[in-house]
Amino acid sequence: MIEFTNVSKTYPGGVKAIDDISLSIGHGEFVVLLGPSGCGKTTLLRMVNQLEELTEGEIAVEGSSIHDLNKIDMRRNIGYVIQSNGLFPNMTIEDNVMVVPAMLGWSKEKKKERFEYLMNLIGMPPETYRKNFPHELSGGQQQRIGVARALAADPPVMLMDEPFGALDPIIRARIQEEFLDIQRTLKKTILFVSHDIDEAIKLADRIVLLKDGKLQQFDRPEELLNRPANEFVSEFVGEDSVLKSLSLYQVQDMKAKLTLPEASDGLDGTVFKHGDSLRYVLSHLLHPTPKPVYFERQEGGLAGPISVAHIEAFVREMTA
Amino acid sequence: MGDFLSYLGRNYADIFSYTIEHIQLLGVSLTLAILIGVPLGIYLTTNEQLAATVLQAASIILTIPSIALFGVMIPILSLVGQGIGFLPAVIALILYSQLPIIRNTYTAINNVDPNIRDAANGLGMTTMQRLLKVEIPNGMPLIMAGIRTATVLSIGIGAIAAFIGSGGLGVLIDMGISRGNQNMIIAGALAISILAIAADFGLKKIQMKFSPKEIQ
Ligand SMILES: Nc1ncnc2c1ncn2[C@@H]1O[C@H](COP(=O)(O)OP(=O)(O)OP(=O)(O)O)[C@@H](O)[C@H]1O
Ligand SMILES: [Mg+2]
Repeated sequence: MIEFTNVSKTYPGGVKAIDDISLSIGHGEFVVLLGPSGCGKTTLLRMVNQLEELTEGEIAVEGSSIHDLNKIDMRRNIGYVIQSNGLFPNMTIEDNVMVVPAMLGWSKEKKKERFEYLMNLIGMPPETYRKNFPHELSGGQQQRIGVARALAADPPVMLMDEPFGALDPIIRARIQEEFLDIQRTLKKTILFVSHDIDEAIKLADRIVLLKDGKLQQFDRPEELLNRPANEFVSEFVGEDSVLKSLSLYQVQDMKAKLTLPEASDGLDGTVFKHGDSLRYVLSHLLHPTPKPVYFERQEGGLAGPISVAHIEAFVREMTA
Repeated sequence: MGDFLSYLGRNYADIFSYTIEHIQLLGVSLTLAILIGVPLGIYLTTNEQLAATVLQAASIILTIPSIALFGVMIPILSLVGQGIGFLPAVIALILYSQLPIIRNTYTAINNVDPNIRDAANGLGMTTMQRLLKVEIPNGMPLIMAGIRTATVLSIGIGAIAAFIGSGGLGVLIDMGISRGNQNMIIAGALAISILAIAADFGLKKIQMKFSPKEIQ
């Protein structure tokens, strides 16, 4: 879907922002570009829709090299959300969201329908906000509108530069959840910039970790956490990488890896379902007055009681 | 005072027609000045070097005394038989209007939030769409402020243009001086002031109407 081949970028001043990066991103994949400030995330993202030129190498989107595509047309076909949301202050919310459809010459009815669909998708009633201006919205609402604007013409590819950057942690977590829900229905191919490892773990199918313009690791979050490719990666993911990785695994992963005891009396305790995160399970086990923990079984009945030792064994399996 | 009022009573029709002439002179010259200055200001945002030169030149023009400028134009325009009258007045007013219009337009477009410009590019706007839908609307308050300055400036200089036969309210002052008629001078000066204040007020209203709510 998006193919980077030996891509390098040197800015006029001589800064090598991107150094020989090759990546292959699949259809419907959610990839997070992660790394410390100045490592080249924004540059890599902006090269895809040609807001920055490549110095070397090639980028192909859906099989065609970006150089062969008309800049204006390709940009209208790629959703773009910038860091500061970049809403146009002179336009109403409706006009902001419908910028690309308007340029594509959609009919009035089609635009209206699409606007209403998108506003409902992002959880903002269309009639309430249609005639508002961006400055009348809260920061979180503005960022949601930024996302809706990028989705407007239903582009298959989305480029998102820290779209939830300027939000407080609670609202941020909620918008992340909402966006994951949206993504589950829309299945876009997404390149998403973040410098927050927790955000990356939560959202990404795969993470691209960069440092000084060089690729450090391109892998699924649990691999990044449990099998860091080098010193920098393990430092970046942090001392609590094991804890973090537990939020990526679910009860069913543990059942698949370990043979768990059959429960004889499972009635007085907490029962976890297949999809529950192991992080919650561990949190329960560490509770000062723990109740016995059981897992629901596919065949019926329960497995357990589960102990911290099981979690330990599982983590050892996953990092082996 | 009573004397002045009775003068007004006798001559209001003349004063009115001089005012109309004045407004015509301004209307023509400002329209042309905007048609030249705004596109030029926009173009200069794409050419930094030329921008410095043009803004410098426009500043210098503004320092030339208007009488001197008229003097210079008389022999040149006489070649086409227009040494005095409406045409040299219009040309002078256009020249004087360029600095505020060009400079404000240039600054307005340059000052548009780079993030907004970036969003416009990233969404696939052409240069022209970006200008018309984003940069000009967001720069409108500053551009209009430049036009207001040019208007008030032109109303004053337009009065001096009466010396080269442009007509307008300057004629009242001109005649008042040569005839030693105090009332004529006061009537001319007063009408010019009222015109300037009214124009400024009206343009401010227009400016508000066209400004994005956030920028107001
Ligand atoms: N227009 C530019 N001209 C020159 N150098 C630039 C330009 N834009 C970025 N750089 C440099 O390129 C490098 C990468 O910048 P980039 O903006 O891609 O980093 P980033 O990973 O997005 O950082 P942040 O997390 O702070 O947004 C930095 O060293 C930066 O100073
Ligand atoms: Mg960045």
